[in-house]
Amino acid sequence: MSDIRPAGPLDPETQQSEALDQVAPATVPDTAQPGVPPSAQPKTKKKDGKPASLWTDAWYDLRRRPLFIGSAIMIFILVVMAIFPQLFTSVNPYDAATCQLIDARTPPSAGHLFGQDNQGCDVFAKTIYGARVSIMVGVTTMIVTALFGGLLGLIAGFRSGATDVILSRTTEIFFAIPLILGALLILVIFGRGNVWTVMLALSVLAWPMTFRIMRASVITAKNQDYVMAARALGAGAGRIMFRHILPNALAPVIVIAMINLGGFIAAEAALSYLGVGIQSPEISWGLMIADARDRFLEAWHPLIFPSIFLSITVLAFIMLGDAVRDALDPKLR
Amino acid sequence: MRVTKGAQIIAGTALLALAVAACGGGGGGSTGSSPGATTGASDAPVRMEIGEPQKLFYPSDTTETEGAEVLAALFSPLVSYNENKEVVNEVAQSIETEDNKVWTIKLKPGYTWHNGEKLIAQNYVDAWNFASNQENVQSASYFFGRIAGYADLNPGEGKTPSTKEMSGLKAVDDLTLEVTLSKPFSQFPVMLGYTAFYPLPKAAFGPDGKVTEEFAAKPIGQGQFSIDKPYGKGTDQTIDLTRYDAFAGAKPKFSKLQFKIYTSTETAYNDLRGGELDIIDQLAASSISSAKSDLGERYIEQPDAGIGYIGFPLKYNKEYENVKVREAIAMAIDRKTIAEKVFSGTRAPADDFINPAIAGYKQGACTVCIFDPAKAKEVYTAANGPKKLELGYNADGGHKEWIEAVAINLRASLGIEVTVKPFEKFQAILDELDAKKYTGMFRMGWAIDYPSPENYLTPIFSTEAAKTGSNYAGYSSKEFDDLLVKGDTAETPEAGLEAYRQAADVLNKELPYVPVYFYKINAGYSEHLKSVKINLLNQVEWESVEKA
Repeated sequence: MSDIRPAGPLDPETQQSEALDQVAPATVPDTAQPGVPPSAQPKTKKKDGKPASLWTDAWYDLRRRPLFIGSAIMIFILVVMAIFPQLFTSVNPYDAATCQLIDARTPPSAGHLFGQDNQGCDVFAKTIYGARVSIMVGVTTMIVTALFGGLLGLIAGFRSGATDVILSRTTEIFFAIPLILGALLILVIFGRGNVWTVMLALSVLAWPMTFRIMRASVITAKNQDYVMAARALGAGAGRIMFRHILPNALAPVIVIAMINLGGFIAAEAALSYLGVGIQSPEISWGLMIADARDRFLEAWHPLIFPSIFLSITVLAFIMLGDAVRDALDPKLR
Repeated sequence: MRVTKGAQIIAGTALLALAVAACGGGGGGSTGSSPGATTGASDAPVRMEIGEPQKLFYPSDTTETEGAEVLAALFSPLVSYNENKEVVNEVAQSIETEDNKVWTIKLKPGYTWHNGEKLIAQNYVDAWNFASNQENVQSASYFFGRIAGYADLNPGEGKTPSTKEMSGLKAVDDLTLEVTLSKPFSQFPVMLGYTAFYPLPKAAFGPDGKVTEEFAAKPIGQGQFSIDKPYGKGTDQTIDLTRYDAFAGAKPKFSKLQFKIYTSTETAYNDLRGGELDIIDQLAASSISSAKSDLGERYIEQPDAGIGYIGFPLKYNKEYENVKVREAIAMAIDRKTIAEKVFSGTRAPADDFINPAIAGYKQGACTVCIFDPAKAKEVYTAANGPKKLELGYNADGGHKEWIEAVAINLRASLGIEVTVKPFEKFQAILDELDAKKYTGMFRMGWAIDYPSPENYLTPIFSTEAAKTGSNYAGYSSKEFDDLLVKGDTAETPEAGLEAYRQAADVLNKELPYVPVYFYKINAGYSEHLKSVKINLLNQVEWESVEKA
């Protein structure tokens, strides 16, 4: 996992102008506010007079990055594969009749692009269908941890005091449990694993990471002048939290979520490989690798192809996360 | 009870990486520097691979194959089994009975213990009394359950036996042993070749009348070889034996024997190829194809007496009650392809409840054990079989692949949903079956204790075995039980066999289990040896081994 600098103020000028726009629509944007140092005065962006936000800047930046374009294309293909696997293969690997044990371990050929596995099933079809589980676990876990960890982080950072202490200590307890070991334990308790139990096990253990990032960036954002200004103008806690702090503290959380997604996919494969995650007849890359491992010396293809897909998927999501981080972190610009 | 979990196979695959590493590391050293590798030297030991014995060498507490292999070299049994699966006398001169109940066993004179003492009938009485006494907690105790007076030594947990001797055992004179059974059993002589029935010398017993640990580490036997030094379990990597020259039976043609302890049969196979090892009695499935080509004539393949099954929880799950459902499941399994592709030919497709290695086997006796998906579907639909099946297995025995293959067979042939449920340990699935908690089909295996067809029937399918034995299906049939009694009390072995055969046919019709495969022995030996024979109990016959 690449390290994320605790979020500092992200482009204070733009944020401030936005914030002020929202807080005090009556004031004219391009006049200096009393009490705001001249350096922090909003610079009006040119081009049809519309002020560029952090997000439009980042988008502008991203579109020019080959890393982003490459990973986005790969992810797009993988997502389509996960949703409509039948576009890629006419064989439905969930139909047991497509497996011919007599042809077990046949190497790749025209009829079976990636060959056949130890049960005589088509490796290509299984690999394509395997994308669904990986992406589903990855994306749902990311959303759950981002929402849950993010929300708690926002509250802890904003409230501080006792709330912060309680939440932070609780987080540290979860933080101390290694992801795979903890998930192993949870899944063994659940018994038969499936997409949802794996998602749950990973979410329970992974949210503290988002929590910490969110809390840190909320604490920085909280002390910014525009928040003071909002407070001075009588904005309520909810409004300050969601209208002013959240939008400005969100960027690092999005970055960490993107990068974690790759990690979750790898973790799902690891858990399935260990036999506690996805269970047959469900198809998962981790499961395919586990099934092929014993006979690797006899037949390499049932192990190598799902491994390649798994690596590419994890890599694509991590690269995307990296690209987004570079775009959102002004210090690197 | 010897239900098998197939641990040897998993040990092989799990340590594959280790084996490869060991191969790479050992390559340099094995070419000449080791003194053991010198071919043809007259006192160089014959080296055989074994897994670590589970316990020290108490004959009546050794119910696994590795310890039994060592004991078989140290002790000589009363009877052994020839190539025609018949019982032949070894230490016994004659075994006679009038009524299948009182048996007179006469010993051949001339046998002596490794310490020079004479072998006498009392040695058997002492050993068997020790083995049967519940206070000694010997795992093979139940073998003596048919001897009169066994109940006195086993009053049940928490109670103290009133005596130390079974009323049914009597040493008439030094060479005559009289055994009285509690009820007639025609197969009694067949049992006598098993490890648990070895005698023990006076020196084995401590002052408290129990076999000492000292003895168990360095047993004194009356067999072909004596042990050189006490076996340090956990530290020793070899067990060295020397030929006992005063042995009265057939003597081996070489003087030194060494058992080498391995944790992986792949490593052992690499050593065999490197000239560091001479005999492997069970090759890992992954080594088979290369062993066939590398060893040629020195690769041994012969039937082993084990059977692998799929079982049904008949007693408490009504879904499987209809025999037509079980027939359809039997027909839906492609045994031949599974034996070939999953087991690389180390198993044979099963077609009876008795293994071909044992007298009484009838080829094709299980008429529905032939793959016929179309018929299976038809029968299953007609019988209105369940739409969803579960198949449980233990994950510690290398069974996953063939269970998955069976599940795919069932899904494809019957068009139903089949889930596979792994249990962490073999014990876990047995416990759940005992507690009647597990309601799915289950994997089961059986390795014989003594080569009689009766051993495939009574302990697994008799009504009585549902309470105390290994009848996990909870199967109960009066017809079957009656035929067993008929076999046990038959006047001649032939008549007994006939009755057991009929009993097996009842199973073939009613299918409490579905037989899937027969085990095979896949062994190999190095070029230092000319010939090796392995018997029905999966033990090497040392007198048959010749150095090249």
